[in-house]
Amino acid sequence: MLQICDLGVAYGHAKVIHDLNLTLNPGEMVFIVGRNGAGKTTLLKTIAGLLKPMKGSITYNDQSIAGQPPEKLARLGFRFVAQDKKVFSELTVRSNIELAAYGAGEPMDKAWSKVTQIYPKIEEFRDMPAGNLSGGQREILLIGRALVGDPKVLLIDEPTEGLAAIVIQDIFRILSNMRNAVSAIIVEQNLSIVKRLADRIYVMKEGNLIREIADKSEIADSTQLETYL
Amino acid sequence: MIQTIVYGFTIGAILYFFSVGLALTFGTMRIINFAHGMVYAVGVYLFIAFLKVFDDSFLLALAASVIAMLPVAYIIERFIIRRLYGEGLDYAIIATYGVLLIGTDAIKMLWGTTSQPVNDPVGISIEVAEFGLPVYRIAIFACAVVLFLALRVFFKRSIIGRIVVAALEDSDGVRCLGLDVNKYFSIIFVLGSALAVLGGILYAPISSAEPYMGFHILLLAFAVVIVGGMGNLNGTFVAALALGMVMAITGRFWSQAANAMVFVVMALVLIVRSRKLDTD
Repeated sequence: MLQICDLGVAYGHAKVIHDLNLTLNPGEMVFIVGRNGAGKTTLLKTIAGLLKPMKGSITYNDQSIAGQPPEKLARLGFRFVAQDKKVFSELTVRSNIELAAYGAGEPMDKAWSKVTQIYPKIEEFRDMPAGNLSGGQREILLIGRALVGDPKVLLIDEPTEGLAAIVIQDIFRILSNMRNAVSAIIVEQNLSIVKRLADRIYVMKEGNLIREIADKSEIADSTQLETYL
Repeated sequence: MIQTIVYGFTIGAILYFFSVGLALTFGTMRIINFAHGMVYAVGVYLFIAFLKVFDDSFLLALAASVIAMLPVAYIIERFIIRRLYGEGLDYAIIATYGVLLIGTDAIKMLWGTTSQPVNDPVGISIEVAEFGLPVYRIAIFACAVVLFLALRVFFKRSIIGRIVVAALEDSDGVRCLGLDVNKYFSIIFVLGSALAVLGGILYAPISSAEPYMGFHILLLAFAVVIVGGMGNLNGTFVAALALGMVMAITGRFWSQAANAMVFVVMALVLIVRSRKLDTD
């Protein structure tokens, strides 16, 4: 489905990712773990079209998509949820979803019911400026926004970072409900989430994926994973 | 003093008409657009030409010149501004300053260097506390208030407005929703340019048209955008009126310092803001 071969990404002369290979199969939930500065966010941004690769290829259903603009990739079904939890703060919660629905060409009623299904409590915040939401509510709004339309590949960057345990449970529930319905690459440091949701795990270090873990017992072994964080 | 206050609101209103486009261009595209001054000046000269065509009908000439400048603004955005997205501010300044110079020289070539007066289309005054206040100036201020309210409705209620508000905050986020921000930036650029032309035409009867008019208002408008906050539409309105008032009041007591005082206020605002940032 999504195939990345020999990917190289640089900020100016500083190479951040080099010779990276990754595969994402339909309906698969792949997690990327690794220390800060490993290049995880850069990788997601490159797949989402926000950064242009210096070399290598990214193919989606045998179609080359490397360097395509994010709006074009969004129309193919790619959705990127950034780490910074940046909602459109001056717009209402409903307007945030409305923009996603407009971009995806989906009727607003359908989009809104999709979001309320994953997080019914959002109805309470419907007409509130999104900037007034808490960090956890913002993350849920962003994930909800990403699910509008017909997403095929979700790229989610550190969804539980800095959030309270109760919100992390909400996000875990939302992500687990998405399993098999959509493919996802999720950067995450919370190993309890990773262990329970991952179909495969990639370990990233210094701009490359140094290890792939697909065995269920290895995925469940947190002591092994902790050494990479 | 009443005359000074009315004059201050009038100048503030004109600054607002001009600065809205500049603020939006910077807020959405992160581009300092000197070409805005060219659109403003050429629009006024076209208006003077159209006055002859339409038998001195102010409104017809105004509509014709605003409409005539729309494709000019679109061409500037499509072929110059769009190539500058993501480039350094210096490239944008050089390219758009070049457009301003070309426009100014084109005016000098086509209409000459002498200033051209424009008649007050209303031509009547009302008496307030024994002072005669030109109705035209009050009308300009009223137009600015109407524009401010209309833009608020536009950015709050219309889908294009909401996309632009979202893009002002996070254009990458908007793009990741499948929305081509360039298309909406073009619309906003053309809208901003039309408002600049409108402001120039409204101001012409108070001042006069001269080839360097785009340069003069640009400097003042940059001060408005900086004081109001880049891309902050409410801030732009308040800053334009406040700086217009600063110009009018300073000009009443010390005419040579009227423009300079605007930049003194701008400097003070920047100092206060930087201290606030330090304490935050």
